[in-house]
Amino acid sequence: MTTDTLPARKRGVSLSALTDNSQIVLIGLLAVLCIGISLAAPQFYSPDNAIAILRQCALVLIVAVGMTMLLVAGEVDLSVGASLAFTGCVAMDVTNRTHSVVLGALAALAFSGAVGLFNGLVVTRLKINSLIATIATMMILQGGVYLYTREAVQNHHLLDAFTAIGAGYVGPVPIPVIIAAVIFAVGYVTLRFTLFGRYLYAVGANLRAARLSGLRAERLKLLAFVITGLLVGVAGLILASLMNAGQPTAGRGFELTVIAAVILGGTSLAGGRGTLFGTLLGVLVLKIVDNGIIILRWNQDLQMVVPGLVIILATWLDIVRRRNDAR
Amino acid sequence: MHAETLTRNEAIPLDVPALAMRGIGKRFPGVVALDGVDLTLMPGKVHALMGENGAGKSTLIKILAGVYGKDSGTIAIGGVETELKTPRDALKKGIKVVFQEIALISEFTVAENIFLEEYPRRADGSIAWKTIRAEAKALFDRIGFAVDPAARTGDLPVSQQQMVEIARALAHEAKIVVMDEPTSSLTPKEVELLFVVIRRLTALGIAVVYVSHKLDEVFEISDTVTVLRDGRHISTKPIGEHTHDSLIHDMIGRRIENLFPRSRTGSAGKVALSVEGLSTDTKLKDVSFEARAGEVLGFFGLMGAGRTELAKAIVGYDPIRTGRITIDGTALKPHDTRTAVSLGIGLLTEDRKLEGLMLELPVQQNMSLAALSSFAKAGFVDEGSERSAVQSFVDRFRVKTPSLFQPIKNLSGGNQQKVLLARWLMRGLKVIVVDEPTRGIDVGAKSEIFALIDRLAGEGLAVIMMTSEMPELLGLSDRIAVMAEGRLTATFSREEATQERILNAAIA
Repeated sequence: MTTDTLPARKRGVSLSALTDNSQIVLIGLLAVLCIGISLAAPQFYSPDNAIAILRQCALVLIVAVGMTMLLVAGEVDLSVGASLAFTGCVAMDVTNRTHSVVLGALAALAFSGAVGLFNGLVVTRLKINSLIATIATMMILQGGVYLYTREAVQNHHLLDAFTAIGAGYVGPVPIPVIIAAVIFAVGYVTLRFTLFGRYLYAVGANLRAARLSGLRAERLKLLAFVITGLLVGVAGLILASLMNAGQPTAGRGFELTVIAAVILGGTSLAGGRGTLFGTLLGVLVLKIVDNGIIILRWNQDLQMVVPGLVIILATWLDIVRRRNDAR
Repeated sequence: MHAETLTRNEAIPLDVPALAMRGIGKRFPGVVALDGVDLTLMPGKVHALMGENGAGKSTLIKILAGVYGKDSGTIAIGGVETELKTPRDALKKGIKVVFQEIALISEFTVAENIFLEEYPRRADGSIAWKTIRAEAKALFDRIGFAVDPAARTGDLPVSQQQMVEIARALAHEAKIVVMDEPTSSLTPKEVELLFVVIRRLTALGIAVVYVSHKLDEVFEISDTVTVLRDGRHISTKPIGEHTHDSLIHDMIGRRIENLFPRSRTGSAGKVALSVEGLSTDTKLKDVSFEARAGEVLGFFGLMGAGRTELAKAIVGYDPIRTGRITIDGTALKPHDTRTAVSLGIGLLTEDRKLEGLMLELPVQQNMSLAALSSFAKAGFVDEGSERSAVQSFVDRFRVKTPSLFQPIKNLSGGNQQKVLLARWLMRGLKVIVVDEPTRGIDVGAKSEIFALIDRLAGEGLAVIMMTSEMPELLGLSDRIAVMAEGRLTATFSREEATQERILNAAIA
């Protein structure tokens, strides 16, 4: 603020663009968790356990990529858990009927993409608040899946390719982890470097300013809903493969885990702020807490309690840090 | 609070000032809002408070309401010196301010709103609903106001909500009632009703402060007039000693200001924007005008005249009912900012925070928003060329920021405004509409903004400037259009324009 012209191209900017200071808290938290758990239970550091954690992360991360885009644009989707279960049933059912993994996968994507489109249209055309709109969609899907199938859709096709989606490996790396990594990379580049990504931030940060600047805010939001829907399709396919069945009851509470991870990663519910790198850290923290509870043989019910506390703690630390920044 | 205690208000001693403010001073960062202002209110009298926008009326009222603390001076109520710490404190001490924005809970009934601060209770502590309704009714009768106390407040027209606010003052045994521009959204008939109520208040011994721009109303209702200008006390006189002209003279005064560098020499070019018969559902009535390339067309109007509504309609942000807007010969599709921007018209909004800034985002993102697509190749933003374009505007406009990555909320108002101006210039416009371009900006930055506006016109843009600041209107505009109640009432050339003429057209 002191000189008139200042050097704009400061080095070290690239690092801050990647991590955004807010994530320092999370990286610290992650380190504390890893050190703490491995001191108490050395098997935490085994390669097997690392792979297990990554596999756990994959499903959440895939959907969290879409959810981050939605939250950045100032919207939210609570129907992803219900849609995940329904999509798994559709994927298994269509594969059973057609004996084609490709058709099963396409059906899953078409279904979940349509759910995303529906959510997006309700929010952008009917102007219904996305929290309410997607709770309604969640209810419709939770009931609707029982109209579609009374019980779990079992695997009757016995196709190896289908099982491989969730349970297969490339070398030591599980296939879901590879899928999640690719989706994360594409999502990261999209949000960070494309016009679409930059516009999402603008729409979320100030809808009126974005509209006055000639942005088609409604269309951008609609697209974010559809992307989230499609990613739920990918996750639903993996889940059905992992469970070797389409479970109508799967995915309960999944939406909360996803949103918790995104918010833990520093994305603002108010829109306009957040990064996918933060989301990745958020997912890792939640899943390592999960894993630690199992490894330490703590009461399993703590798997809900501890993440709840972690979210409050991390968010509070972020507020404290930002308050200090402001001085 | 109960009906019988209300009568006690009539026993207010009439010779002791209800309120005496002495030497009130208040400064905000970079601005002296009030400098040694006096205000004395007598019981049972209507005291008009007048002055141009920015004269200090609102600040004075807010100090009275306990919203702002004063920096210096004393306040005495009924002869006893006191401090007004919070709005609640002011209310307890008998000061009720009816602000322009009605502060009622629209989902509650009228009666509930009246006793909002403290509901009458029954012996067991439960709320005495019947008493509330009965007492509300009694209050309404006192001021001659016929409305059902059980009605939902939000269903009432603004004029009646205002009456509810006034009834609230009585419920709190207020000795002083302040009305801030109370008639700005009332019909003439409703104004009559308001005046009847004001006379009833004064008959009860209540001192009324009447803040208004409208000279006729002030002459009709007030006993005394205090005029403020630039945060100073100019005059306090009985209304009988004023004429229209003497009052306007006191409000305007003489100014010596050379804030307005004028570098333009060329005359205006061809018509860049033409508006014909523009009406909206909300405000505008049959507005027609043209703006030429290279000129600054100033729009003046008092609060609620329709300037902001006009600005939002011609850039395609708000829907219109009838009319035709043409940019450089091409008709604009109404209510579509995307085509408006691509045709080359943009709006610098009045409310930077609400409609302009992305507060948490950096300077760079804020500046490049409208032009971002021009930096994109195959959907990817070329951040290198984006950054150098932003940097060049930061240099040209002398935006003071530690870096392009600084969140814009940390910049001063003047620098934020420069970034928002640059947002449009980077896009390349033919017509720019600026709405109150110097609101909330300190004097030094103001002159820089003025110089930029002057330069833009010099570079061939048509600049349409909405303003309620007389000096900036006269200093910058080539032509001046005046609005009142949604209509265009007069247009002056730079030579014809005088403050008196403009104000007369605005009050019409």
